[in-house]
Amino acid sequence: MAEQTTEHHNPHVEVPNEHIGIPGYLGVFAVLVLGTILTYYVALMDLDWIFPGANTLVALGIAFTKMTVVGLFFMHVRWSPRLVWMSAVGAFFWLTIMFAYTMQDYLTRGTGFFGH
Amino acid sequence: MSAHSHSDKFVYHEPGLQHQFDDMGQQEESVSLGMWLFLAQEIMFFGGLFTAYLVMRSKYPLAFASGSNHLDAFLGGANTLVLIVSSLTMALTVYYAQKGNRNMQVGLIVLTMLFGLTFLGIKAYEYTDKYNHGLVPMAGLNRRVKADSPASEHVGLVLPGETAVSASEAKPGAEPYVNPHGEFQWREYELVQHMMDKQRAEPNGHYLTLNEQLTYSTSPGSLVLDKDKFRDKVRIFFYIYFVMTGLHALHMIIGLGIMTWLLWMAFKGTFNAEYFSPVEMSGLYWHFVDIVWIFLFPLLYLLGRHYEHLGL
Amino acid sequence: METVGAIEAGSYGTAKLNYLNNGSTLKSWLLTKDHKRIAIMYLISVSAFFLMGGLYAAAIRLELLTPASDLFETGTYNKVFTQHGILMVFFFLIPSIPAVLGNFLIPIMIGAKDLALPRINLLSLYIYWVGGAITLWALMQGGVDTGWTFYTPYSTTFSNTYVLAVGVGIFINGFSSILTGVNFLVTIHTMRAPGMTWFRLPLFVWSHYAVSLIFVLGTPVVAITLLLVAIERVAHVGIFDPALGGDPILFQHMFWFYSHPAVYIMVLPGMGIVSELLANFARKRIFGYEFVAFSSIGIAVFGFLVWGHHMFVSGQSMYASLVFSFLTMVVAIPSAIKMFNWTATLYQGSISFDTPMLYGLAFMGLFLIGGFTGLYLGALGLDVHLTDTYFVIGHFHYVMVGGQVIAYLGGLHYWWPKMTGKMYSEFWGRVAAMLIFVGFNLTFFPQLILGYLGMPRRYAAYPPEFQVLNIFSTAGASVLGVGLTMPLFYFLHSLVKGKPAPDNPWLLPGLEWRTSSPPPTENFDTPPVVTWEIYDFGDESGLDLEAAKREAATVNA
Repeated sequence: MAEQTTEHHNPHVEVPNEHIGIPGYLGVFAVLVLGTILTYYVALMDLDWIFPGANTLVALGIAFTKMTVVGLFFMHVRWSPRLVWMSAVGAFFWLTIMFAYTMQDYLTRGTGFFGH
Repeated sequence: MSAHSHSDKFVYHEPGLQHQFDDMGQQEESVSLGMWLFLAQEIMFFGGLFTAYLVMRSKYPLAFASGSNHLDAFLGGANTLVLIVSSLTMALTVYYAQKGNRNMQVGLIVLTMLFGLTFLGIKAYEYTDKYNHGLVPMAGLNRRVKADSPASEHVGLVLPGETAVSASEAKPGAEPYVNPHGEFQWREYELVQHMMDKQRAEPNGHYLTLNEQLTYSTSPGSLVLDKDKFRDKVRIFFYIYFVMTGLHALHMIIGLGIMTWLLWMAFKGTFNAEYFSPVEMSGLYWHFVDIVWIFLFPLLYLLGRHYEHLGL
Repeated sequence: METVGAIEAGSYGTAKLNYLNNGSTLKSWLLTKDHKRIAIMYLISVSAFFLMGGLYAAAIRLELLTPASDLFETGTYNKVFTQHGILMVFFFLIPSIPAVLGNFLIPIMIGAKDLALPRINLLSLYIYWVGGAITLWALMQGGVDTGWTFYTPYSTTFSNTYVLAVGVGIFINGFSSILTGVNFLVTIHTMRAPGMTWFRLPLFVWSHYAVSLIFVLGTPVVAITLLLVAIERVAHVGIFDPALGGDPILFQHMFWFYSHPAVYIMVLPGMGIVSELLANFARKRIFGYEFVAFSSIGIAVFGFLVWGHHMFVSGQSMYASLVFSFLTMVVAIPSAIKMFNWTATLYQGSISFDTPMLYGLAFMGLFLIGGFTGLYLGALGLDVHLTDTYFVIGHFHYVMVGGQVIAYLGGLHYWWPKMTGKMYSEFWGRVAAMLIFVGFNLTFFPQLILGYLGMPRRYAAYPPEFQVLNIFSTAGASVLGVGLTMPLFYFLHSLVKGKPAPDNPWLLPGLEWRTSSPPPTENFDTPPVVTWEIYDFGDESGLDLEAAKREAATVNA
């Protein structure tokens, strides 16, 4: 069967079981702890002098980085088949659709050419 | 398997291989894809709440900032760290399950569960605090204090380690806590009052959004703060806070249930280099719950925190 | 379980072990992991819900026979149409084809022994039962009157009916859909037999792949939305109440983010069945296989981008309405691709008018009307006139009943010999199909006209000048009711007295016709290896037509 359909393979047979090993896991952990501390202290600073909403952007940027690290290494997405990538990325894409098409309503209420 | 027991068309080549699969590779791929699709649906499940958050925050940014500033960001951050540690122990559990090291697995699962319980403990402490300060967005679910109660009750139950949360009550001249029917209460209008004043002084400034100018004012466009209307918006923040963190906590509790089962299986020495996918799948779930919190923490606790620089 | 007993009582000569006689205790059914047995249990449950929803429909049509609201009080009428909608949408239309026919056929069609996650499959059946039981309990306690859409703030603040309980029932039921979707996606990806490449998959499987995507990505959103409604009813915070700073339109966005794609859940599987019926009964390879396959995926994806067309008059911004209106026109394209390809498939085919094919052809006509009236409603200007009129009711019944129910019946007739090993009466099958077609059009075409003339939906009373068309509609509903009841009788009759079905009664090349009727528990005696192209009616299919004909003759003798 395996030679007929290419998807029938075991990801754990082809790649070494170690993934990134214990030092790697500890490194990821360090990144996550640093990110948490960083996001806490940056939130207390007033970054509005850069542009309004800079605090939000930084906080979300750090959160996305942390999520990516957890996903890639702790959840082994880095070594997973393409389908796993697709379901992870696809779900986020769908979430973006929901955000974008909902906000396209709220952000254009009562403004612009079609305002009233 | 009972329905198939008298069918002899298949043979168990390996222990743990279910009859519908040809080999362990196919089984593991199916199970892992199934788990990831389940997580995809979880993303959309929480995504609905994130959409509600996004819409409501974009409508009432100042009310959300005021609400955020009232949460204890230090405890929220501590909880983030607790979850990250539990994620590390979970990742190591999978690592040792692959190696078939039973003792390390059992130890690490116990650690993971301890950190999960710590998280829930801190969460419960925070909820208690909201209860004491009249911040639960449902009438009757807050601590009831009558106006003629003894003075000690008006201060609120001071829990050990309680800090900035009760800042308003520590201020000289602050009104005592009176809440005979256990309703939602809000007392901090300094931030919105400050912005309202600035907006009145500079009508073309961007201190309040157009929607806020309409909805926080006594009458549309008057730019005179209506405290009741502002309180309603803060209550929506706390509603979203409770639903999001509550649903997250529910996922943690389910996770602890899974961990208990996993602990028993690992204790029996079920998992080895050939068969460890239950550990891996439980790990995926646990990490996912961690990721949800990674977003909840900044969105609920941190955004708007920089207004504290105004020194109000 | 009476059905099951009947099947066994009528067992015929060959004592071959199949999924139906492989264990006959109640436990062997309730704890089975066999996708075929689970499908049969779904069939019984779904039919029960269809019957209940149908009774509510009859009540609605009876009330609308006269202009005055004389059969029900207006409040009761609100409950009647709401409960008709809830039972039909959430407990019949959504699970009907995927959970019954999809569950039964997908593993067989791809040459697998079972779904990839059989225990999850059984779990989803139980979740469906629990959700259904809670909803039925709430309906018996007094019901709900919000309309199946639960629009806020009426549902959260003003309605004093059992919104909370029904909401919880639908919330739970949603997870049944999600788990079914996950199971199908995994199965189609990992369980295909050797040689069963993606472009050899029957189009029925492709459409279920698309539906499963919607199940997984859409259903959780409506679950969380109903959860918010439920909490809001208890807590009265006002997140959906404008008087307290909330936003009722937020509910509509979240609700329609799922519920518009859900409309495609309710028609895509039907399209899959019709693709099978038209190609197989015209005995011709479907025209433009790849286009039909990818248009299913296209519908699933674009279906997520058009939900705002339900909100043109709700206070959504004009810009958003424009975008949603445009995208609504875009989603018509993949549907049109399917229609054109089906038509081209029929061209020069050797068509046989067996009962399933009658349903297939009926689908094409009815879905055409349903689709075109949808374009009227998606057009931003015209929709303002048509919103909340009987035109909308006519439109979506043409898609839901004319599409999904017709296709479901077609599929049920088509695969009935395979599922039960019995042939039904072809004569009564054709009579029922014709009655349903006539009755359906007589019921719903007048509603399109009524709506265009301005008769609003959801009212028990209406101006007297609308009465003639309403009488037509009610008369049609009676014919439709008779037509829909007939299959119940001749199907049950076939279980007891029906002729045994040959393995391949229609002489077709599909994988499901290459196993016995009914199939064994493991679906195939020897694991199949696919060497032929799908819808190949020539010699290359490796199908011994003469042998199949001989077998059919022996069985009939």
